[in-house]
Amino acid sequence: MAIVVWGISHHTAPVEVRERFAVSEARVPDLMHRIKNQGIASEGVILSTCNRVEIYLNAAVEPVRVLAELRRIVADALGCAEPAANECYAYQEPHSVEHLCRVASGMDSMVLGETEILGQLKKAYETALNNQWTGARLNKAFQRAFQIAKHIRTETQIQRGTVSVGSAAVDLAERIFETIQGRQVLVIGAGDTSEKTARSLLSRGARTVLVANRSFDRAAALAEALGGRAVRWDDWNSVFAETDIVISSTAAPHFVLDRAKLEPLMDLRRNRPLLLIDIAVPRDIDPEVNFLDNVFLYNIDDLQSIADDSMRQRQRELERCEEIIREKVRELLGQGTRGYGGGDGCPKPASV
Amino acid sequence: MAVLLYGGSALYSIFLLRRGLRRDNWLNYGLLALACAFHTVAMLKRGFSLQRCPINNLYEAVAFIGWTISASYLFIGLFSKWRSFGAFASPLLLVLGIFALMPGLDPPRGDKPNFSGWEVSLHAVLLLLSYGSFGLASVAGLMYLTQERNLKWRKLEAVFSLIPPIQRLEAITGWSVGAGFLLLTSGLALGAVFLTPPPGTSFFKDAKVIWSMLVWGLYLALMVSRWQFAQRGRRFAFGAVGGFVFIMLTFWGAKLLSNIHNP
Repeated sequence: MAIVVWGISHHTAPVEVRERFAVSEARVPDLMHRIKNQGIASEGVILSTCNRVEIYLNAAVEPVRVLAELRRIVADALGCAEPAANECYAYQEPHSVEHLCRVASGMDSMVLGETEILGQLKKAYETALNNQWTGARLNKAFQRAFQIAKHIRTETQIQRGTVSVGSAAVDLAERIFETIQGRQVLVIGAGDTSEKTARSLLSRGARTVLVANRSFDRAAALAEALGGRAVRWDDWNSVFAETDIVISSTAAPHFVLDRAKLEPLMDLRRNRPLLLIDIAVPRDIDPEVNFLDNVFLYNIDDLQSIADDSMRQRQRELERCEEIIREKVRELLGQGTRGYGGGDGCPKPASV
Repeated sequence: MAVLLYGGSALYSIFLLRRGLRRDNWLNYGLLALACAFHTVAMLKRGFSLQRCPINNLYEAVAFIGWTISASYLFIGLFSKWRSFGAFASPLLLVLGIFALMPGLDPPRGDKPNFSGWEVSLHAVLLLLSYGSFGLASVAGLMYLTQERNLKWRKLEAVFSLIPPIQRLEAITGWSVGAGFLLLTSGLALGAVFLTPPPGTSFFKDAKVIWSMLVWGLYLALMVSRWQFAQRGRRFAFGAVGGFVFIMLTFWGAKLLSNIHNP
């Protein structure tokens, strides 16, 4: 009895291959029954996301046989040809459990350190648990993997910082304001990036989004999409007193907001902090406004630079995370130190 | 021992600050907790030997101010989002500790303490607690200035450091200044109502009383400028830091010049 994993992910296969092997929620029970009926595994969990399809099993027979059978079963169940050897991967213990922890921690994700995968993995596990496809071994491994993911999140910086322009804006807002909840966001100019940034802020609890655009119809359309309110172009100054975050992305060839215009508006705001996000090129906001007290201006390059630095920071943390995973998995499987894993950096799991 | 540990914590804090204060750090909290424990024991020993609160001379007064800051940090440092406070507080605690240990501040006592009576003790405790509160405000203000600078200059530490958001720091600075002002007002009012100056002296000519009124006016101006004239953020933080620096630089001088408070 040993835990094995077979899978296809963005590391090994392009989307054209991944989409053929995607297992929809409705097809998961059928695939699991096929696997169980073959008698190769006593327990199983199937994870299927846009970036990966992975099947974790507690092998009832020799792991090498399980993995060979599994490729055929999956291809049969999904009605497609077996994947090429280099398009998929398979690991057995201890590397299978290490891989599970790596996936749960977001270390194997396309965006390093992202947290969405943990939720997806938990959902896949819950489906298996509710259908009684799991037993003591997989339950222990998955629950431990979730704990390790939490440990890595709190003890390392793999999930710290932000890796997109939108979330960089959210991170900055969280460093300025007590909370984003209840903040009013003003979007000046109805562009794609400003919409994404506004959505990121809304997802963290921003109260209202006001949209001002030279074309009122476009402003109204974006405001409706964001669940906010459109403001006439000439009136956006009037809502400034209650605004905490401004996202500007107009196509104007000159500054829309400069120091002379902002200074009296800050008096109206009684000098409450103001975060200005200028994602327009050419820029909408005069850099001089950053010299005003309680005004924090970031342009697109600043946000991108934060996102890039965060990614570099996460990559630097990888080795530490690998070390934590190796140690915790070693504890879980009750193995000795000798002959396990290796201590030089972060070795890739050995394929079966 | 406490001063040595404050020193160790201050050195370690410099290292943490240079590294950008990126990781939650229990070691610094532990060092300060241990220092505070020694500090508390020293205060208790002195208190038991005096049979009352140990705020009899300049050494004890400065040690008491440091203890209020240290003990307050032990509580707020239990919350992970506030643990970084220690990195900013420990240098201040070290400075206070070194100052308290300066020769001449703790002269040998006679048979009797310099003053007696619960009114005097309460008056002194309230005032020293207020200075401790102003000390906390200055530390929060310093954190505000650091984080505000990181944000203004788009430093990566603005996002990665464990310093709380500047709006929260400003609120804490404001509450600490408010609490300090309330304690200071209560202490001064208690002194004015219940205490009588020794024969041949007057409150209005006493250097310490004049100095205290100056401090009271300074913090009143700071609060009014914030609430009434919206002088928030950096200016308020500078005020809180500057106010406490003024207290630290002039407190001993005012006390030494006073006939009533330094008989």
